[in-house]
Amino acid sequence: MSGIETVKIIVNAEKQAAKIIKDAEATAADIRKKIDSLIQTQRTEMLATAKKEASALVQQAEEEGRREAESYEKEAAVRTRELIARASSKKSATVEKLVGMVMEGEK
Amino acid sequence: MSETTKFTEDILKVATEKAGNIIGEAEAERQRASEEAKTSISREAEAIIRNARADAEAVKRREISEARHKAKLHEEKEKDIVMTEVLDHAKKRVLDVAKDDSKYLPYLTTLVESAIRQLGDETLLIHLNKADMTRINRTNVERDVAKGLQKPIKIEWSKEPIEAAGGAIVSSPDGKTRIVNTLDERFDALEPKLLIEAGKSLFGQ
Repeated sequence: MSGIETVKIIVNAEKQAAKIIKDAEATAADIRKKIDSLIQTQRTEMLATAKKEASALVQQAEEEGRREAESYEKEAAVRTRELIARASSKKSATVEKLVGMVMEGEK
Repeated sequence: MSETTKFTEDILKVATEKAGNIIGEAEAERQRASEEAKTSISREAEAIIRNARADAEAVKRREISEARHKAKLHEEKEKDIVMTEVLDHAKKRVLDVAKDDSKYLPYLTTLVESAIRQLGDETLLIHLNKADMTRINRTNVERDVAKGLQKPIKIEWSKEPIEAAGGAIVSSPDGKTRIVNTLDERFDALEPKLLIEAGKSLFGQ
């Protein structure tokens, strides 16, 4: 191999090496360029999941609240019916007592 | 292998290693940024969930609180119905006393006597309703009142009837001082006390 051929081979090798590095730098630049959009995607996905979970929590609480409220209303209606039934049985005696208060006040 | 070949291979090996490092650094940078972002976004997401839990508790409490309020209003309404019924019945019974002479006449005497005691005058004007003006034996009332008061008293009877179911209005002759002891007024005046008593009696309040 002549000296000129040897130099050519080395120059080609250096050109290839320069291209390898240039390509790598382009790939690295591309990776860096995509970081922001990667983070934005991560953010959108994670917050969407959190919001979905949050919405489910509130909806579940609404349903639980409604169920408990309905149950409370039913129990309260029974209690009120019983209370009114007990009071109704005392109406006559109460009327007597009130009439007594008005009439007896002057004695 | 010739020296030249070895040399060129070394050049390419070094370049490949360097390229690997360049990409590796960028990958590491991406990884770091991603981890940092995840930590930050996780905190945001946790805040969203935390707020949602608080909202959920509030929603649940509000549903139950509204139910309690509604039930309480219903109970109060039902109790009011019973209380009103009892009070109306009691009032009717009191006003009906005027229809029963055996009960009413002694009661009217005590009402007049009580009013005279409160006025403290010795000459008085008594006002009755139209029915009582014709059916009451005034002499008997004057006698019974004087007996009850244990002193002579001069009673004048108003010729103008009052609007009342029964009872009397006793006033000084000039009408400036008056005690209203009609059945209606007595009931109305006692109504706050009657309501409390009815509440205790009916509902143990």
